Amino acid sequence: MSLIIKDLHARVKDGATILNGITLEIPKGEVHAIMGPNGSGKSTLSKVLCGHPDYEVISGTAELDGQDIFSMSVDERSRAGLFLAFQYPVEVPGVTNANFLRAALQARLPKGEELDAVAFYKQLRGRMKELGMDTKFTSRDVNAGFSGGEKKRNDILQMMMLEPSYAILDETDSGLDVDALRIVSDGVNAMRAPFRSFMVITHYKRLLDYIRPDVVHILYKGQIVRTGDFSLVDYIEEHGFDFVKNAEEA
Amino acid sequence: MDFPDTTDLSTALEMAQAEQRLAAAETPTRLCEDWRFGRPHKYAAELVALMEQADNRGSVTVTGADDAADAIDKDDRAEELLLHTIGSDKILALHLAHFGKGAVLFLEKEYSAPITITYETDGVFLPTTLIIAAPGAKAHIIEKHVTHGAGAIVCTRLIHAEGGADIAVELEEGGSGESRAMNITNIRSVDATVRHLTRHSKHAWAREETIAEVLHSEPDSPADIQLYSANRLGGHEVLDQHTHQIHDVGHSTSNLLYKNVADEHATATFAGNIRVEQGAHHTDAYQANRNMLLSEDATVHSLPGLEILADHVRCSHGSASAPMDEEELFYLLSRGIPRHEAQVLVADGFLTDAIAKFRGE
Repeated sequence: MSLIIKDLHARVKDGATILNGITLEIPKGEVHAIMGPNGSGKSTLSKVLCGHPDYEVISGTAELDGQDIFSMSVDERSRAGLFLAFQYPVEVPGVTNANFLRAALQARLPKGEELDAVAFYKQLRGRMKELGMDTKFTSRDVNAGFSGGEKKRNDILQMMMLEPSYAILDETDSGLDVDALRIVSDGVNAMRAPFRSFMVITHYKRLLDYIRPDVVHILYKGQIVRTGDFSLVDYIEEHGFDFVKNAEEA
Repeated sequence: MDFPDTTDLSTALEMAQAEQRLAAAETPTRLCEDWRFGRPHKYAAELVALMEQADNRGSVTVTGADDAADAIDKDDRAEELLLHTIGSDKILALHLAHFGKGAVLFLEKEYSAPITITYETDGVFLPTTLIIAAPGAKAHIIEKHVTHGAGAIVCTRLIHAEGGADIAVELEEGGSGESRAMNITNIRSVDATVRHLTRHSKHAWAREETIAEVLHSEPDSPADIQLYSANRLGGHEVLDQHTHQIHDVGHSTSNLLYKNVADEHATATFAGNIRVEQGAHHTDAYQANRNMLLSEDATVHSLPGLEILADHVRCSHGSASAPMDEEELFYLLSRGIPRHEAQVLVADGFLTDAIAKFRGE
């Protein structure tokens, strides 16, 4: 059971091609880190997998436990177990966190079955406590007026409540201070399980020191150009991405 | 309490005045600026015909204020003669001539629970509401208009608050899909605070004319009126909203936020004006109209306006109409919320701040 991406080419709708043949398999139970210089296509990969309307697939396939992702609508992909923690979580004025999460969880229940409100609030408050969030955030509008760090925490809260099979964390570490980074990482680590996998997109080693990946990939010009273990993270930290760029030029 | 039908409400003089006004007033046409987008050839003509045949079949119920509520009587009737309209003198004159019954609230204290006035009809009903808030009164009034079938409620309303009174009045207009509604509302705040919210649902056609006049007896007395509206329109619903914020004296404030979500073939029109009279210095007034369009076939017209005859004022207006934000929608979809439910959540969320501000949240 895996997330399997084969020879994926994708572009900005009516614009430039960003992904140039990505092939990647993330088996359940593993954490894969995606690193790469700015503009290499990391965020595009995450958005294409989730079905963002600004992007279109040119060719290639992506399967989630054998199901063709690209034939599903955005909400179906989520209910099939895919989750994206956004690089820039969106503000949704007028929709409270509690109502938002209730709607998302309700959508996962069989038709005619009602969400147990008491159990929901108990779980929500417990998860918020784990993430060090004030419970007043339940009645606040989704991300509206939140600081950058609060938005990231809120995305992780959503992940913990929705319990996806495959979670993509797109630069979740940006905007987080050291303490928040540790709390969020602890939350992610607590969710690591044999039935769940993570794709962690980041520029920095510091997140990967907390969320230790099993496999590290380097994305450059829309392709996976290197795959290795954690030693690759140390190498990038020391030498930057020049070795990838130089190899390309050579 | 239910109010029985009342007859002989008008004096001979008042009836004569009503008939005189009716004879002088003309049915709005396309040449009438205040009906510019209101399709008067269809809706005004239709409303006039309905009002001329008004059966006034309907009920009036008031709860939560037995000590302060009463049926309209002759003295109250005189108040209606003083009401102003925004281009609909003919409608007001017809109301005066064919008027049914209504409710009066005379509020002198603080009410902890909401007071509810309900008008319900399946015919053509022309009620009047008078809400008089004496100094020190504080209340939340919910006025519900329930119209069945092809019926119509045409209501004249006066809300008058004085001397530190704090009144919140919520008008809930509920229709059948083929019903019609019109409200001519005059609000006067004299050293008082009045908040007013309107919400419309499922009328084939509805028009609102709201004239808010801010006054005070002493230069330093605070006087404030806040006007809000929040509506989700679908099908072929037409909502035509007109407002005047009038500042006769300085050091007074008013605020307006009207928000509409228009889906399918719905049409929403907002035309508002802030008028600051000569000498009304240090007025602080704002007006905003925001619209969300959910369909290529939905239409909104937004005509905000300022008419400032005084110096040293702070007045501004804003208008924005746009489709639903795709990023907001994608965020909800990405959490597994089906598209239709996600659209409902975002659309309702768009209207929430107008309701929250009315409630003082």
